[in-house]
Amino acid sequence: MEPLTWTGSLGAILNPLFSISVVLLACSVVIQIVLSFFAPAMTLQSNPDGTLVKRGGALGLFEQTTKLFFFAALATVVLYILGGVIMPYGSAGIIGAMSKQFAPVWIALFLTFLASIMFKRRLGLYGKLFDSIIGMIGFGLVMFWVFTAVFAGLFDLIATHDPLTQISGLKNKLPGVALPEGSEEMNPHYLLGGDNLARDIFSRMVYGSTIVIAIAPMATVFAFMVGITLGLPAGFYGGRLDTLLSFLANLILAFPVILLFYLLVTPEIVETGIPSYMAAFLFVFPIVFFGVLLNSRFYTQPSKRNPMLILVLGGLSWLYLSMISQAGTKLNFLPPAVDLFDIAPGILVVFVSVVFVNSPTVFRIVRGLALDLRTRDYVAAAQTRGEGAWYIMLWEILPNARGPLIVDFCLRIGYTTILLGTLGFFGLGLPPESPDWGSTINEGRKLLLIFVHPPLPPAIALLSLVLGLNLLADGLREESLKD
Amino acid sequence: MENENYDGPILEIDKLSISFFTRLREIPAVMDFSAKIMPGEALGVVGESGCGKSTVALGVMQDLGVNGRIVGGSIKFKGEEMNTMTPERLRDIRGSQIAMIYQEPMASLNPAMRIGKQLAEVPMIHEGISEEEAMARALEVVTDVKLPDPQRMLKSFPHQLSGGQQQRIVIAMALMSKPSLLILDEPTTALDVTVEAAVVELVKDLGKKYGTSMLFISHNLGLVLETCDRICVMYSGEAVERGSIEDVFDEMQHPYTQALFRSIPLPGADKNARPLIAIPGNFPLPHERPDGCNFGPRCDYFEAGRCDSQVIPMEKVSGNDRHESRCLRFKEIDWDAPPEVGETKEKAPPGQVVLKMDNLKKYYEVAANALFGGGDKKVVKANETLSFEARESETLAIVGESGCGKSTFAKVLMGLETATEGEILLDNKSIGNTAIEERDTKTVADVQMVFQNPFDTLNPSMTVGRQIMRALEIFKVGNNDAERRQRMLELLDLVKLPRAFADRMPRQLSGGQKQRVGIARAFAGDARIVVADEPVSALDVSVQAAVTDLLMEIQREHKTTLLFISHDLSIVRYLSDRVMVMYLGHVVELGSTDQVFAPPYHPYTEALLSAVPIADTSVKKKHIVLEGDIPSAMNPPTGCPFQTRCRWKEKVPGGLCEKDVPVTRALADGHQIKCHLTDEQLAEMEPVIEIAAE
Repeated sequence: MEPLTWTGSLGAILNPLFSISVVLLACSVVIQIVLSFFAPAMTLQSNPDGTLVKRGGALGLFEQTTKLFFFAALATVVLYILGGVIMPYGSAGIIGAMSKQFAPVWIALFLTFLASIMFKRRLGLYGKLFDSIIGMIGFGLVMFWVFTAVFAGLFDLIATHDPLTQISGLKNKLPGVALPEGSEEMNPHYLLGGDNLARDIFSRMVYGSTIVIAIAPMATVFAFMVGITLGLPAGFYGGRLDTLLSFLANLILAFPVILLFYLLVTPEIVETGIPSYMAAFLFVFPIVFFGVLLNSRFYTQPSKRNPMLILVLGGLSWLYLSMISQAGTKLNFLPPAVDLFDIAPGILVVFVSVVFVNSPTVFRIVRGLALDLRTRDYVAAAQTRGEGAWYIMLWEILPNARGPLIVDFCLRIGYTTILLGTLGFFGLGLPPESPDWGSTINEGRKLLLIFVHPPLPPAIALLSLVLGLNLLADGLREESLKD
Repeated sequence: MENENYDGPILEIDKLSISFFTRLREIPAVMDFSAKIMPGEALGVVGESGCGKSTVALGVMQDLGVNGRIVGGSIKFKGEEMNTMTPERLRDIRGSQIAMIYQEPMASLNPAMRIGKQLAEVPMIHEGISEEEAMARALEVVTDVKLPDPQRMLKSFPHQLSGGQQQRIVIAMALMSKPSLLILDEPTTALDVTVEAAVVELVKDLGKKYGTSMLFISHNLGLVLETCDRICVMYSGEAVERGSIEDVFDEMQHPYTQALFRSIPLPGADKNARPLIAIPGNFPLPHERPDGCNFGPRCDYFEAGRCDSQVIPMEKVSGNDRHESRCLRFKEIDWDAPPEVGETKEKAPPGQVVLKMDNLKKYYEVAANALFGGGDKKVVKANETLSFEARESETLAIVGESGCGKSTFAKVLMGLETATEGEILLDNKSIGNTAIEERDTKTVADVQMVFQNPFDTLNPSMTVGRQIMRALEIFKVGNNDAERRQRMLELLDLVKLPRAFADRMPRQLSGGQKQRVGIARAFAGDARIVVADEPVSALDVSVQAAVTDLLMEIQREHKTTLLFISHDLSIVRYLSDRVMVMYLGHVVELGSTDQVFAPPYHPYTEALLSAVPIADTSVKKKHIVLEGDIPSAMNPPTGCPFQTRCRWKEKVPGGLCEKDVPVTRALADGHQIKCHLTDEQLAEMEPVIEIAAE
């Protein structure tokens, strides 16, 4: 097999087109910026039929051309992807081959967007997201990695090779390298080259996404549970409780995060069982949260509440016990027959540290929101009809704080992703051969001066996911503020 | 300063239309609005919220934000077209020739800058004068707005002043460059009545002194009557009637103006002879306006096929000066015909005593250092020896300005706070020291509350039906969800809301509808005592009447005791049986409505009555303007709480007012007063409100 070039035969037509449109776009943007210092401000003029027309002279013209070139560049990118999917393997180069691998993701993305835009007026805040370009880009980037993780993790699609298989002779080879003759792999190329252990970088990047997408949102959810369960009473009651909890939160926030992680994974510390006890403490919050949530709402109707509570608390407790009871740690009390699953001890530590570090910030946000919302008349109305404090906190205050919390949730998944990368980069928690993005970047770093290509794909993947989450949060914030 | 000798109209608005552009559609906010303000003239623009009156003001300032746009017509300031002005020219005019005063004084002042500096900035920017000169002028203007100790004022920061003082500073700032036109957008809505009266008086005087023209925007017809020469009534984006104050108030020529006047209570009028008539229906949303006359669907004189089939122009009313009406039928309508009065319903006579307050006191301890609880402690006396009784199906109004302790009293009654001393007896059972958690369901359900702000009274993320059903669950009404749902629908019927509202979210309801849901929720457990904390003050006048009537009707049916907290004496006079006037935690006067509203008054009641703006040209009112602000409850004056502002203080010999708190004494049966004045002096008092013979 021949090694692949970046764009293959498709590049002959598309490469010049792409370069031209990008150069023109850059020029247009520069001219627009320069002009905006001198040109008169744009005015909007209304027509008799109620529409608005922009009158802008030269500046308006360049605003138009910028838009035009932007869409031209975008269209070439779409052509690269489409061409790659349609044309036979190899003829569209590495980019074509990769977009062919991502075909299920493209289809899923297309269907999601189609359905969402068609019904956007009926979908509340989620639907409004599709009115903002920023929000759509962010959502697209995030969903790209979510779909990638789902297809790779659950259906073994997308990736071209096993992330751990080494093929001799492909060590540190450049992108597009062909496999040696006679190998029985499905795919005849290492699309993004091989790393220093001769593993396929593309497949490792794809499998790395499953780890990030599985851990980051889950850890953020736990951090929110802890933050909400402590932040609501702190803000609602105020006084000594608030002072105490805020002080503790500040204490945790003041502690150097990396040092904390190093401490948590040190064998001596693991030996004492501290991470296990921390997990036991932190993971109890969801049970408390849901228990109180249901009880405060339904305590007036015991016939409804009791089965509901038994079901939910029973289920959650079982999950909780299975989660904290690990073979080989201090906490190992469940007989294997009832222990639903064991989490790798490394992952548990990662989980605990991420939750531990994130929950104080969530606590402070929730506390601030509760301080504001507790002065509302509907809270007073609930008090005057004798509602319990937890009902007021969880059913009157929390739902009305959801806007800022959703935005923060998106941002926080981004931070958590970076934190996971940092952990992987320091080799903390996860096993050394793990394909997660942080570990792969760290491995590639060692030979960075000689081979640039191994750490770049995971770095770009990390960047695009976090960027997507931030843009999504921006879009949500912008749209939730509008009318 | 060009156009120095200009003597034409200061502001000439001709067929102005303003629209806002949203994602979905264009929303016309103002249509075909014309107005002319001559030098020294004051024009009042009156209308309900959402009618576009503030948009007109912003349009004049050419400050409509990103999605607002003038889509037609012209605005001429001193003969110069403003719509085509360059941004530089606009900047030049704003603040120097046209000044604007907004509703919220704190939002108009920079909290990080000393008052003097903020004031001096105006002429320094617009006229380029030196800082000393500007400071000298600032001192002059601050003296003009009658602030005490102007030197000190200039050196203070905005947060160190009270709301009334802040608003005076904002007015001073507007006057710094001696503008030709002053735009006031609800300048007194955020202030207390007595402070409002003083500010209005000030604005009137300053307008005369400086010869400034004014565009006065308000929802309060009484205020406009007191301050303006001409009036323009707006409804749903259109001016419906305009003319001089006398013409519009006495010879109204538009059904909306008439309906508006009929829906506000006048303190001079009898409630049986002149009942409130609510305007039926709701204010149309800007994008759902009907064809033809916007007021058509709510109008008594509506003629199908005529009123809804054409664009209705403004037409001159012959005989009056510049009096116009936007009604096709105004010449056909008999404007003097008395309103159709529905059957007058007899009120149930007050029954036995339900609620009894006995020497109730509520003090708060405020620690100087909140974190460790050490340091000096200050005592805030929020309620001082409150004693009164409330009977079944009686309405007791509690009147007073902010800080008088009425909200604290409500909190103690509801059980959110416990009393420091004294007792509250509900059916001879003491509840004053029982916090709400320890009260039994029956007691909690018996004492319920209706809140002030309709936009805050319902949880925005729960359906209306769910919220009422929650109250039913808590009060243990009904055995299962089906029964409770049935009861909830009945409650919606009770407050005259369609049953379909059960599944709506609060944001889909108008202010008046939300307030009705709030009332339904309060009556979920068949409340016997309902504390209504200014339930209608945040609503538009046309809706106020409907909600007030609803409250009274439910009271008649359920024999509820209504504790009506309000500062609006007009509405208090209209609906209450007895009135209790509070000042700084003290009950200064208590008696039946007739007793309180007729002399002898407590000096504070007298001032309060005189401060109420009354929208009736035939009412003559004594002007009593109180000096200063309400003292802080943290640091109350010695002796009588009202002595710092009382105009009768000199009549009491020996400085008694500053030494002793007066004892409560009975004047007539059920009429008590807390004052040092002798009976003879009280007897000399003249009525504040007099209705001129017609």
